[in-house]
This record gives sequence, structure tokens and C-alpha cells, in this order.
Amino acid sequence: MFNRVPFRQLVTPLLVLGALAVVHVPDVRAARGYGRLTGVVHLVALSGTPLRSGAYPSRRVNPKTPDAAEIANVVVFVKDAPADPELTTTHASISQRDESFVPRVIAITRGSRVEFPNFDPYFHNVFSLSRALSFDLGRFRKGEKRERAFPHSGVVKVYCHIHSEMAATIMIFDHRLYATPASNGSFTIDAVPPGTYQLSAWHERIGETTKPIKVVVGENASVEFSLPVVEK
Amino acid sequence: MAYSTPPRFVIRTLVATLATVAFVLSAVLLVVTLNVQTSVRAGVVDRLKRVQGLLAELEKRRAQQLHAQVLMLAENSTLKAAVDTYHTELRTTNSAGRQDLLATIARELDKIAVRIEPDVLEVRSASGEVLGIAGRRAGEWPAFARVNAPRPDAEATFVTTPSGIFRLASVPVVLQGTELGTLSLANALDERYASEISDLSGAHTLILSDGHVVASTLPSDSLMGLKAEVVDAMAKADVVTLAGSEYAVRLLLHIPPQSSVSGINRGGAHVYVLDSIDASARPMIAAALRRMGWIALGAFTLAALASVWLSRTIARPIDTLSASLSNMAETRNFENPLTTGGDVLEVDALTITFNTMMQSVNAAENERLSAYVGTIRALALALDARDPYTAGHSERVSALSLAIGRCMWLDDAQLEVLRLGALLHDIGKIGISDHVLMKPGPLTAEEYEIIKQHPAVGARILRSVPFLEPHIPIVELHHERPDGKGYPHGLRGTEIPLVASIVHVADAFDAITSARAYRPARAAADGLRELWRCAGAQFDAEVVHALAKALPDNDRAHSFSNIASRPVPVPASVRALRA
Repeated sequence: MFNRVPFRQLVTPLLVLGALAVVHVPDVRAARGYGRLTGVVHLVALSGTPLRSGAYPSRRVNPKTPDAAEIANVVVFVKDAPADPELTTTHASISQRDESFVPRVIAITRGSRVEFPNFDPYFHNVFSLSRALSFDLGRFRKGEKRERAFPHSGVVKVYCHIHSEMAATIMIFDHRLYATPASNGSFTIDAVPPGTYQLSAWHERIGETTKPIKVVVGENASVEFSLPVVEK
Repeated sequence: MAYSTPPRFVIRTLVATLATVAFVLSAVLLVVTLNVQTSVRAGVVDRLKRVQGLLAELEKRRAQQLHAQVLMLAENSTLKAAVDTYHTELRTTNSAGRQDLLATIARELDKIAVRIEPDVLEVRSASGEVLGIAGRRAGEWPAFARVNAPRPDAEATFVTTPSGIFRLASVPVVLQGTELGTLSLANALDERYASEISDLSGAHTLILSDGHVVASTLPSDSLMGLKAEVVDAMAKADVVTLAGSEYAVRLLLHIPPQSSVSGINRGGAHVYVLDSIDASARPMIAAALRRMGWIALGAFTLAALASVWLSRTIARPIDTLSASLSNMAETRNFENPLTTGGDVLEVDALTITFNTMMQSVNAAENERLSAYVGTIRALALALDARDPYTAGHSERVSALSLAIGRCMWLDDAQLEVLRLGALLHDIGKIGISDHVLMKPGPLTAEEYEIIKQHPAVGARILRSVPFLEPHIPIVELHHERPDGKGYPHGLRGTEIPLVASIVHVADAFDAITSARAYRPARAAADGLRELWRCAGAQFDAEVVHALAKALPDNDRAHSFSNIASRPVPVPASVRALRA
């Protein structure tokens, strides 16, 4: 918290500056007639008792690093965006650290590669039963890593055979109209073709929350999500 | 009256002792059998109580194990991955996609089921939707209704379904703090379970649901028509009777009726363990019977030997006594007292009493005889006294006949017959009137005919007295002659009994040597001469010869008193007469 407060105080004016820069600095794509999607995702606690924790205490023996804020597990994306014929691929990474996948949620473009380095002093495994892609990368020790390309769009959940509490979600899109909110919940999706869209905010526990949005060329369409996710 | 021979004494004692022994043995056997039954029953009930304790502990372990097992299974990473993937993708898929996701879950469930062989392994979503079922009895699992899944910290519980009773443990499947659903593991309380319990306990198992048999290791005929009151009794009593056999019974599990969920819930169920008392008692009773058999054999043998010995100690003296008595009766010798055996006091007492009695009987008999003889004598004397000339005639004929008889070597019995017969020989004259009898002159033919009737009359008189029967021939035939000219029958020679001939001769001799109204007495020599003259025709020559020998040399001695007093062997019955 000590670190975050100055960080957040620093980031907010930077974002404002950034937004002004986008508005005022002419972009190539904007010039060609694109709009922009900005917004904030709020995580709101539900009334009532939180869900029960595991029947088994975790078998994890190492001291656990604090979980990343739940906001990091949210992906905002345009649900009905058409496939992008000029899709560029990326190279993402999900670490295996302290018996967890870090980060737990990532979003990539179709055809991108994800590597899974093991930082724990014991074996890990990566497998998936998802329809978008089923695979099992086998077991590997500390310092090793496995890599996998994701050639189909969809959601792929990956798990570790050895540690049943480990899970991560990889969202693969046919387009680039997605974003991961910053730690304060704000997000920006640039170069959105004008039109009316369904904008979804996805969280691993509650799924999608979708809102309609209209994007006008050269304008900033703003949206606000309130997701009923309890911060742990 | 028909007389049936009574059984021998030894038979009686045998029957009595053996019957007693048999009765005692039967009573002992009954007591032993009841005792064995009672102690076996108590033992079986007690054993079953201990078994129940052990099995109850075992059931607790089973429940814990089931719970532990399902907890482990809920952490199966691939199963969790499958369920989590289902949940993640369900939001973005159609029904075909859903089937694929369910198939993934089913595959993971099957993989587990192959290894642990549960009766039912089921996973449901957090909303209660069944995502997959595996296991041997998956088909019977009521998927249409939600099982009231207990919370994970609860012990395993039971559900009664139309297809059976299941022990169920359910735990939530949790991934990263999120409850994905519920995993349930259920094992049926079925025949397999019942036989497992039976193998462990050595007793029978009976599983009832709503009073109906779900599973049992009891013989099927013992459960035919299982009545409601028997079912009720099982819950309360220690012992129940099934198809005539007694069983100790303990309640192992009681599954209370469930009410919350329609479709699968029924009344309560009970798991009992039963142990046959009869089956346990049978070998012990058989062993007791075998032992009793040997004891019975020994007891019967000893009893038989003892009763034979006892009966012999009594029967032998009695046999001896009765042999002596029958010997006595045969020989008619009542003089010698019976000897005592000295074996049995009572038999000796009997012998002594008998001897005493025989003494008095003998005395009475002798008295009776002497009374008879006295009477006869008085009768003869009275007869003789009617005529002064014949006074003492009968006494003299008697004495003379005895003398003759002795000379002819007659035995004592014949001599006795002779003595009394001679005394009575003219008893028939009692019916002849004095006029005829004492007529001084010669008799007319009619009178003589009257006289000739006296032997027959005498015989008739004697016939009325059985005691005098031996003397009848003398009385009746003492006037027969060897030449057949005698009366009353005209018998000849050897047809006439010797005693009759003797009395005939003695009578004639006394008549000749006695005075009569019409003549004086003649000398003995004259008489003998007269007799010799008529010997062979009128008198038996041998008898006359004997008379000659018997007469004393002194001719004057015509009174034969001295002859009669000569010592001769005299029968006992006559001794009294003398006394």
C-alpha cells in the first residue's frame, strides 16, 4: 500500500495527460477515421457472505506472495468485433511462481505464443482441457520453460497437474479490440472502427458483463463497469 | 378264573430300576439341554453386543474413509480442470459444445471410477445440476432429484433411494476459492456390503428399509413372510424368532427417515446383525448328548447288574423256600421244619413263621385225627356194647388183624388202614334192629338177608366221611370169600383186597373163640382148626396161615391184648391215638 498510493497518485495525472495527448496529437488511424474506447472497471463487493474457501487447506508450503489485485483478472473486450485481417501476434508469458500462475489472466491475439517459465523449486505442469486448445506440456523443473502457440480464438484455461489449485485463463481474440484494466480500473482501447458494439468486461469468477456502446470517428466513447467481485 | 403267570421278580426289578434310571437321565438331559440353550443364548447375545461395538466403530471408520476419499478426489486436478473448464466455457458455447464439456467431465470421472470402483461417483454444479455420474450403480442413482448434499465437514450420511440405501459423502470442488460444484461418492448398502459385514462379524446381516428386506445374508426361507411385529421386535429385543429359529439381534445402523427431497426419500432404514442361537447351541448340545450317552450306557449297565444281584438275593432264598415247600407238599412230610437260609432276614422270618404255623397245623391235624379215631372207636364200642356177647369184638378183631398184618409184612400205612378198618368193620350193623342182631336162635332167611346188608350199609356210612375212605374196602368186603360165595358182591380170590380178607379171618376167629348166646366160647386151637378146615374156600389160606403164626403159643391166650401191645412201627397219625 505504501508503494501504491504514490504510484496511483502519479498514474492518474499521467493518464489524464495521456488522454489529452491522444485527443490532441493526431493519430494515423484516427486520421483514417477511428474512434476510441475508454472507461473504468469497478469491483464492487456483493452483500452477504463470501464464498466458502477450499475444503482442503492449500498444500502450498512457501509463503505466499500477495495475490495480484482482482482487477488484474479482468479483461475488457469488444464482443462483436469483426476478425482483423491484419492481426499481429505477440509473445506473452505466464510464470509459475509460488504455486500459482502469474498473471492468472492474460489476453492475446490469435496465433500469439505464450511461454510458461517455472520459478518454483519444484516441478510444474501445464495442461488444458479447453475446446479452443487442449494440450499438455508435460512436467518441467525450475528454470525451464514451455511455450505454446494459440492458433484459435476463445478461452483456454490452463492448469497444473501437480498442483490442483493452480489455474490461469488465456483469452485469445481474433482482433486487437481488448484491454486489461490498469490497477485503478481504467482502460483504453484505441483505433476502434466506428459503429455500435457490445463491450464486455470479463472476470474469471463471474464471466462477462456486457454493455452496448457507440463509437464515433475521432471521438472518445466512455463506459463504466461495476463487477460484483469480492477483493480477496 | 384265568390265571396268568406273573413276571419273574428279576424282570420287575430290572424294569423298575431301568425306568428310574431312564427317568433321571431324561430329567438331567432336559436340564442340561436347557442350561446349554440358556448359556449359549446369553453367550451369543453377549458376543453380538461386542461385535456390534466393533462394527459400529468400523462403520464410523467407513464413513470417515468415504469422506476422506471424496475429499482426495475433489482435489483431483484434471477433474477440477474439467469442471472449471466447463464453467468457464459454458457461457460462450451452444448445446453441442456443452455436450463436449460434459463428456470431458465424464471421462475424468470414469478414469477415477475405474481405479476406486465406487458404487456412485457424481459431480454437480454449484447450482445442483448433475454434470456427470460414474460407478457400478450409476444407472440407479436418482439423478432427477437433488441429493441433499451435506457440507464437507459433515460425516458421511445416508440416502434412501428407490433402488437402495447409499452411504454418501459429498464435498465441494473448490478452485482458487471458488466453489465449482459438489463431488459425491456413494456406496450402496447392498448384498455386497451385507456379506462384507457378515464376513467380518461371523454373524448374519439384515438390511431393512421401511420394513422391506434390501439385502440379507440370512437363509432366504427365514425371511419368508417377515412380519411387521418381528421387524418391530428387532429394534427392541435382544432375541427374535425367524422361521422358528432363534437369533440374537443388534441394531448396527439406523438411518432416520428423510423428508426434505421428494422422489428419493423413503422411510428409515435399519442395518441389523443377527447370530443364530440354534446354530451355536447345536454342536454344544450334540457334545452334551454324546457325553450323556456314555453316562447313560454306564448307568443302565450298573443299574441292570445291581437289580439282577438284588433280585437274586431275594429270589434265590424264596426259590429255595418254595422248592422246600413243594417238596414237603409232594412227600406230605410236614414233620421236618424248613431250614433258614440266613441270607435275607425277611425270608428267614417267613420260614420261621411257616415252621411255627406248620407245627400248630400239625398239632391241629393230629388232634383232628385223634378226634376222628376216638369217635370211630366210640362208635365201634357202642356197636359192640349193644350185645353183651360181642362186647370188645371190634377191638379184638382190630388187634388180631394187626397181628396178622404184621405177620404178612404189611407196611405201616396198610396196618393203620387195617387197624381202623377192623375197628369199624361191623359199623353197618348199626342199622340192624336188636331183634335180628341179638336173636338167640338161628336166623330166618329174611333175617339173614338183613344181616348180609351190613357191609354195604357200613360202606355207605363211611363214604360220607372222606377221612375214612381208605377203610371202605374192609367194611364193604370183609364177608367176601375166596370161593365167591361171600357177600355182598361175591368176589373171588385175588379180587378181594388183602386187608378185607385179614379182617374176614380175624372176625371169624373172634366169633368162634367168643361166647354166644346160643353156645359157649371155644378154645383158640379149636377156632384155628375150624378156620384151617375152611381155608381156601371160605377163608384165604395165606391169611389163616399168618393167623396161626400170629397166635401166641399159649392157646389160652385168646385175649389179644398182649399181641396188640407188641412193638410195631406205627404211623405218626396214630401216635396221637395212643397218647
